[in-house]
Amino acid sequence: MATYEAAFLTQKCNLPTRTIKFEIWDTAGQERFASLAPMYYRNAQAALVVYDLTKPTSLIKAKHWVAELQRQASPGIVIALVGNKLDLCSDAGADAGDDEDGSGDSGDARKVPTEESKAYAEEEGLLFFETSAKTGHNVSDVFTAIANAIPETSLKSARGPGAASGAAGRNEEQRVNLGGPRNADSKEGCAC
Amino acid sequence: MESLSDTLWDVVICGTGLQQSLLALSLSRSGKKILHIDPKEYYGGPDAALSLEEAQRWQAEHASASATASSIFNSATILQSPEPANLPSRSYSLALSTQIIHTRSALLSQLVSSRAYRQIEFLSVGSFYVFKPSSDAQIPPTLSRIPSTREDVFSTTAIPARAKRSLMKFLKFVLDYDSESNAEVWRSHADEPLTTFLASQFSLDNELQAYVLALTMSLDQNVVTRDGLAVINRHLTSMGVFGPGFAAVYPKWGGLSEVAQVACRAGAVGGGIYILGTGIEKVVDQAEVDEPVEVVLSSGTTVKTTWLVLGTEDQPEAGAEQISRLVAVVTSPLASLFEVSVEAAPAPAVAVIAYPPGSVITKDGIASEQPVYVYAHSSDTGECPIGQSVLYFTTRTCPLAKALLEAALESLLTALESPQCLYQLYYQQSHGSTSIQSKGTLVHLPAPSLNLAFDDSTLESIHEAWKMVMDGKREDIDEEYMVFADREGEILAIKSKARVCTTHFISIPSDAA
Repeated sequence: MATYEAAFLTQKCNLPTRTIKFEIWDTAGQERFASLAPMYYRNAQAALVVYDLTKPTSLIKAKHWVAELQRQASPGIVIALVGNKLDLCSDAGADAGDDEDGSGDSGDARKVPTEESKAYAEEEGLLFFETSAKTGHNVSDVFTAIANAIPETSLKSARGPGAASGAAGRNEEQRVNLGGPRNADSKEGCAC
Repeated sequence: MESLSDTLWDVVICGTGLQQSLLALSLSRSGKKILHIDPKEYYGGPDAALSLEEAQRWQAEHASASATASSIFNSATILQSPEPANLPSRSYSLALSTQIIHTRSALLSQLVSSRAYRQIEFLSVGSFYVFKPSSDAQIPPTLSRIPSTREDVFSTTAIPARAKRSLMKFLKFVLDYDSESNAEVWRSHADEPLTTFLASQFSLDNELQAYVLALTMSLDQNVVTRDGLAVINRHLTSMGVFGPGFAAVYPKWGGLSEVAQVACRAGAVGGGIYILGTGIEKVVDQAEVDEPVEVVLSSGTTVKTTWLVLGTEDQPEAGAEQISRLVAVVTSPLASLFEVSVEAAPAPAVAVIAYPPGSVITKDGIASEQPVYVYAHSSDTGECPIGQSVLYFTTRTCPLAKALLEAALESLLTALESPQCLYQLYYQQSHGSTSIQSKGTLVHLPAPSLNLAFDDSTLESIHEAWKMVMDGKREDIDEEYMVFADREGEILAIKSKARVCTTHFISIPSDAA
């Protein structure tokens, strides 16, 4: 996802027993010359490494980032490997085939076989998906799978009545709030 | 995208120290094409926070004695280090230039107006202590907490009633020291040492003088009245600005290093290109003044730019003042230092300990002539694992500085029930240029200040560089400086009846290249 101009996104994911709010940090192009700052790694509970199904070199780069995450991030991090642009592959899943694009004349642009990435993902203990950001195919499944894979104990509770407990609660007490009224507003939004 | 060499850059910034990074933040929504590089493999330059592995490489690069021509840091030695296998390197981030930030600092208001503060967790700086040596070898030295508000002075039992009145009188005076009647009291003593002024005008005894002097955060025992009063005033008026019980804050995960990273990230989100591990090989002389500057990068690529902004952390001033630093990791949470002293105050993550001159004695029996300061950081700063703490010692460099800092560490550990020390790194840091310098479109930002608290004058040169690059002849342009609206997508309020949990993850698009 090329998130130009938006540094930080949030997405909600509803599970049967809990709702998870994702705070998504896009790497803003800092990955291009392998210049990611440590601030991305620390405290990250999940990482999404996306490659292009039509570009074999992108999988090589993805493997590099997986290794980098395993080296730098916290040991319990959930890593999802995602092959994107499934809409350009003729063997796309049934839903993608039905979409208005009608992949008929474009032919099969797939250069990375599913089996290859899947075997790699299994070896490294990664979640694995093939998606189309264009049609939305499998995208929400990725988020749901990540949400399910993150252990309850490593989630920090949101601010608000009854939500704070244990170590996370102490964390909130410590934070100095520079935001004034503006922040108070968003707090209301979160805690209801 | 275009290749690096095909692009005509508006600005090439070299170095990711705090100043260069804040410049990148200030330009992040200007639409300028910015290439931001750093010869180091990490963000933050002289303000960086390093893992143990990085610290080891850093030490090797800065080991040479005395100020050399290539860095403001020198004489770096690792005095103690465990077997590498026993310490997870990345669990540490040791800050090279620790500074606390007063709550009234313009840095904080700029981080708020530029929206960058949302990505930084600020922790409070709690109590200030004065170290009291013990005359009896059987009794450990003690730390005495400095009362720094009037309520605090009132309730303390450590000061006799008569002395309390003098101290109260002084605190009241400092809060309003610039008023006409108060200025009269100190103006004629402005260039005298503050201690002399305290004794003559407020009859403060040695003990109270030590309290007051500690609040000046000055490494100079003879700090003059004018400077000392200004800092104490800043301290007292900063109390309570963002909550009760603290006058300063510290960004989690390595202080200014984190601010630099967040600022660079803003630069990247605005379209700036970031390359670590790449410096400048040489700058080709311009044929014509109006022509772009040609810069040969250490990677061999030549890039063209209108403006070139460099730091001066590689240009120490010959014979300039130096400070000595000792960073020590200890195996104790040092909980007593981080107790909440005021009701409803946030739990502090940083404590300040001042050693008055003469209170540190080396193994050879020689006493310190200048103050020594220690910042104690709890593991809440994220700079060490839970159960440990990091101690940052600073004093003016003198031939005995290293021995004095080692002695200060040892006596502090004795005062704190003798936790074990795991790791010690010593180094010296010298002054670089203190003002911005420019020649045509080549700009040099000043080197970081050696102050213990963040110095707002640092921000002036960044503002000046910003104006140059923005061609700031318009009168109202300053109103745009560091004032940004939230980016779209940043403030999506999440509403749900279920329990809401927060997670934080990153997305790396490998297919973007």
